[in-house]
Amino acid sequence: MLYIRLFAFLIALSLSVSLSTVSSAQSVDSTQVGRFQLAESFMRSGQFQRAISLLEDLYQDSPNTHVFYERLREAYESVKRYDDAILLIDRKIQQDASPVVYITDKARLLFLKGDEAGSKATWQLAIDSNVTSSSVYLMVYRSLMQVRLFDFAIEVLEQGRDNLGNASLFQTDLAQLYNLTSQHGKAVSQYLELLKINQNQLNYVRSQMSPFLTSDEALDKSISVAEEGVATVPLNRAFRELLAWLYVEDGQFRSALDVYRAIDRLEREEGRLLFTFAQIAADGAAYDVALEAFDEVLRRYPDGSSAPDALRGLGLMQEMWAETLGEQVFDIAGNRLERNHYDEALDTYQRFLIDHPQHPHFPDVLRRIGVLHQDIFFDYTAASTVLTEVITRYPQTMTANQAAYDLGRLAITENRLGDARIQFSRLLTRLRTGELADLARYELALLHFYKGEFEATDGFTRAMQENTSTDVANDAIAMKVMLIENRGPDSLDVPLRKFARTSLLIRQRKWETALHQLEDLEAEIGLHALSDDVLFSKAGLQARTGAIDAAIQSYLELPLVHEGSFLSARSLFEAGSLQETHLGDTDTAIRTFERILTEYPGSLMIKETRAEIRRLRGDEV
Amino acid sequence: MKNRLFMTVLIALLIGPVQAQDLLIPMDDSQSDHLKAYGVTFWSLNRSIDVDWLLNYRGGSFLISRTPEVENELRVRGVRYEVLNGSQTAAVISEVESDASNTSVVRLEKPPKIAVYAPDQTLPWDDAVLLALTYAEVPYDMIYDDQVLAGDLEDYDWLHLHHEDFTGQYGKFFNYRSAPWYIEQQRQAEISARKHGYRKVSDFKREVVQVIREYVGGGGFLFAMCSGTDTFDIALAAQGTDIVPMEYDGDPIDPDALASLDFSETFAFTDFRPSFNSREYEHSNIDSGPPPPQLRNPAVDYFTLFEFSAKYDQVPTMLTQNHVPTVKGFIGQTTNFVKTLIKPGVVILAEAPGRGEVRYLHGTFGEGTFTFYGGHDPEDYQHFVGDPATDLNLHKHSPGYRLILNNILFPAAKKKKQKT
Repeated sequence: MLYIRLFAFLIALSLSVSLSTVSSAQSVDSTQVGRFQLAESFMRSGQFQRAISLLEDLYQDSPNTHVFYERLREAYESVKRYDDAILLIDRKIQQDASPVVYITDKARLLFLKGDEAGSKATWQLAIDSNVTSSSVYLMVYRSLMQVRLFDFAIEVLEQGRDNLGNASLFQTDLAQLYNLTSQHGKAVSQYLELLKINQNQLNYVRSQMSPFLTSDEALDKSISVAEEGVATVPLNRAFRELLAWLYVEDGQFRSALDVYRAIDRLEREEGRLLFTFAQIAADGAAYDVALEAFDEVLRRYPDGSSAPDALRGLGLMQEMWAETLGEQVFDIAGNRLERNHYDEALDTYQRFLIDHPQHPHFPDVLRRIGVLHQDIFFDYTAASTVLTEVITRYPQTMTANQAAYDLGRLAITENRLGDARIQFSRLLTRLRTGELADLARYELALLHFYKGEFEATDGFTRAMQENTSTDVANDAIAMKVMLIENRGPDSLDVPLRKFARTSLLIRQRKWETALHQLEDLEAEIGLHALSDDVLFSKAGLQARTGAIDAAIQSYLELPLVHEGSFLSARSLFEAGSLQETHLGDTDTAIRTFERILTEYPGSLMIKETRAEIRRLRGDEV
Repeated sequence: MKNRLFMTVLIALLIGPVQAQDLLIPMDDSQSDHLKAYGVTFWSLNRSIDVDWLLNYRGGSFLISRTPEVENELRVRGVRYEVLNGSQTAAVISEVESDASNTSVVRLEKPPKIAVYAPDQTLPWDDAVLLALTYAEVPYDMIYDDQVLAGDLEDYDWLHLHHEDFTGQYGKFFNYRSAPWYIEQQRQAEISARKHGYRKVSDFKREVVQVIREYVGGGGFLFAMCSGTDTFDIALAAQGTDIVPMEYDGDPIDPDALASLDFSETFAFTDFRPSFNSREYEHSNIDSGPPPPQLRNPAVDYFTLFEFSAKYDQVPTMLTQNHVPTVKGFIGQTTNFVKTLIKPGVVILAEAPGRGEVRYLHGTFGEGTFTFYGGHDPEDYQHFVGDPATDLNLHKHSPGYRLILNNILFPAAKKKKQKT
C-alpha cells in the first residue's frame, strides 16, 4: 500500500515538476519531498493544522507546484478555513491563463462558506469566461452537483444549450437532474431526444428511469410525455416501446397492448413482441388483455414462429382464468352449464394439435386435453383415448409418466381397480423416487383401502410418512390415523370396509348411491368410532347434491352427537360457511363460528375461525 | 310497599358485587397470544373500560371487568383468559397488594394517543414498533418532519422513533447510495430541509430533535429503538457544530466538532464520540456494536431484564413486565449502549450480562420520559436491508416485542401516590 502511494506521489510530483519546469523552471528538492510526505501523513491522520503549517511553507517555496497547491487547498477546506482556501484560489486565478477550473472551485467554496449569492455570481463568471465552450458548462455543472444544487445545475445546462444553439447537448445529465428534482415529464423528454438519435439506448433509458418511477405522479407525468412523443414521431420504435413499458409499470395493460400492437404492425415483428406481452399480461392477471394479445398473434400470424407457443400459452391462461373464477362445467344436478373458459381451453389445445402436429409441446398439450376431459368434463372415454395416445406415441418421457398416472386415476373412477393397480405399480417400478412416484404410492394405498385391505394400506402409508418433505405425506398420515381410530370392533372391520366403499363411490361421483350407503351405515353402526366420519361425509354429500338445509343440519348435529370428535369444530365451520355463502345469513354464521371459539378452543380450526369472524364483522385486520 | 322496595334494592346492592365477575388475562406461559393481549387491553381502554395491570403477577397480567363484549373480543383475537368470581378477584388483588410480594396493581384508564415517526416513503427494512402495533391492533398515526415542525406532537401522548438517522447522514448507508430507495430518501430529506429554510439536512434534523426534546420536556412519552436512540442524542449534542462528513452534506466536519459537543443537551448519553468515518456503518461509540464473534449467535446471545420494586418503582416495573427474565438478543445498527457513556440518573432496565452493555434504558426529562431500546427487530436476529418483514403470527409470545408494547400501556397508567 505504502509503495503504491509513494509511486502515485512520485508520478504526481514529477508531472507537476515537469509542468512547472516548463512554466517557471522551478524544481522540487528532496527535503520538500520529505516534508510533503509528512504533511500527507498528517492529513491522513486528521492532523490538519500540522499539515497546513508544512504545506504553507512548501507552497511558499514552490507556488507553481500544483500538488502543493492542491493539498493546501484541501487542508484548508478540511478545517473549514474557506477564506484562506479562497485566497489561495484567487492567486491561482490571477496566475493561470485559463482559470475556469479555479473559478468554479472558488464558487463551490463560497457556497460552503455560506455566501450563496457570491457563489452563484462566481459560477456565472466561470460561464461568462467562455460562453461557447460546452466543457465550461459541464465543469460548472459538476461543481454544482458536488453541493447538490440541482435546480441551478439545470439552469446552467439549459443556458449552455441556448448559448451554444444546440438543444441536444447534455441530454443524459439534464434528464438525471430533472428526475432528481421530480420533473419527470421533462426527464422523459430528454430521454426521448436521446432515443431519437440512438434507439439502441432504450435499455439504458429504462434503467435510468426505473429508480424514479416510484410514485403514481411520476408515472403519470412520464406516460403523458411519452404519449406526446409517440404522437409526434409515430415511427420511432424505441418511443413506442418506452411508452408500452411505462403502461405496464402503471398496470395499464390495455393501453400497453395497443402500443405493442402498433409496434408489431409497423416493425413486422410477426407477433414475437405481442406474445411476450401476452405472457406478461397473463402473469399480471389481466386475462382479458392477454386474451386479446394472444388472439392478435394467432389471427395475424397463424404461420409465424410465435404461433404455437401463443396457442399453448392461450390454453394455459384460459385454464388459469377458469380456476381463478371457480368455474364448473356441470351444475349440482349434473346439467351442462354454458360454455366457459374450460371449453375455450379445450378448443385451444385441440386447435394446437391440428395446427402444430410436429411441435415439441405436442405431447404436453395432448395430455392437458386428456386431463381436462377427465377432471373437468368427466368424459372418461375421451380422456382414456387421449392419455393412451400420449403413452403410446411418446413412451419413456415424463409426459408419458404423467399420463400413466392420470390413466390410473381414471381407472379408479371407472371402477377398474385392477387396471389402476397395474398402472400405479408399473409407474412406481419405473420411477422409484420423486413426487410422481409418491403420488402413485399413495394411490396404491388408497386402492387397498377401498378394497378393505387395511394391512396393506398401513404398509404403504408407513413407508410414505417417513418422507415428510412430500405433500402426500400428510395424506398418508391422515389415512394412518383413520385406520388406527376406526378399525374393529369385529375382526373383519365391517364398518370401516363399508365406509371405504362409500369413499370409493364418492370418488367415482356416485353421489346418490354413496349418500344412501352412508345413511344405512349411520343407522347400522350406532356410536362406533367411525360414526362422526360417516355423519361428516354425509353432510358433505348433502351439500354437494344441493340439499343445503339438510347439510347444515347434519353439520350442526355432529357436535351434539359426537361432542369430543375432532370433526366437531370442522363441522361447525362448514355449517357456518354454508350459512354465509348459501343462505346469506351472516349473523347466524358468526354465531356458529363463535361456537367453535367457545366450545372447541383447542381446535385446529381456531385460526381460520377467527379470521372468518373478523372478515364477516368487517374488521380491518 | 315502600319497605319492600327498599329491601329489594338493598338486597340487589349487596348481591350485585358478589355476583360481579372479572376476566384475568394471564401473561405467564399459559397465555396463548401475549402480543394480542396488549391489543385487547388497548381496545378495552378505548371503550372506557378500565383495566388493572397486575405488575409482576403471572407475567404482568391484566384484570378487566367481565362483559360479553370483552369476553367475545378475547376469544375472537385468540387471547387466553380466566373468569374470576368476586371472591377470587379479591384474593388475587389481596395477593398482589400484599407487602410480602413484589407485585402491585396499576389502574390503566385512558388509552394514549400514539404517533409513529416515519416517512411516507417505503424503506427496505421493517419497523419493529409498527409491526407490534399492527399485529396487536393498536391504533396509531404516522407523522414525520412536517407534522413535527407544525406542532402536531401536542396531539399525541406517545411518540415512537425507530430506524431514523437524526444526524442527517441518511442512516450511513453509503454502500447503498445508488439504490432507488436511498436516492429517494435523500431527495425527500433535501426537499423537506429546503422547504423549511435549511440548506443542509443535518441542520433541519437538529431542529426536529429540538422540537421532540421540547415535547418530552412538556410531558410527552418518547420511545426509541435502534438508531433512533443514539442518533437522537448525537443530534442534540451537536446543535452547535457540524459532525457530518462531506460525503453526506457536501462539506467537511468542523475541525473542533468534538470539543463543541454539548452533552448537557442530551437525554441519555454523555461523553460519546461521533464516528466521522463516512464509510463506517456506525454513528458513534455509544453503540457497542454486535456481540463478540463467539456470542454472535441467536442461541447464546441474550440480555436480562432488571427486577424493580413493583410498589416503589412502578414505571420501570411496568416497562420490564415479561414472562421471562432473559430475552433473546438481536442486532441492529445500534444494538447495545456502552454503559460508561450513560448519564447518571438514567435507569437501566436490561443489559447484556458481563459485557458492560445496556440494552434497554429509561429516564425522565422535564415533565416527560424517554425509553431507549437497542436492536432492530426482536425476532430477526440480524435484519438486513431488503429482508422481508417479520411475521408476528409466528412470534405471538415474543418477549422482545412485549417490551415494546409495555411502553404503549405505560402512559395509560393512572398516576398514583407512591408509598413512602
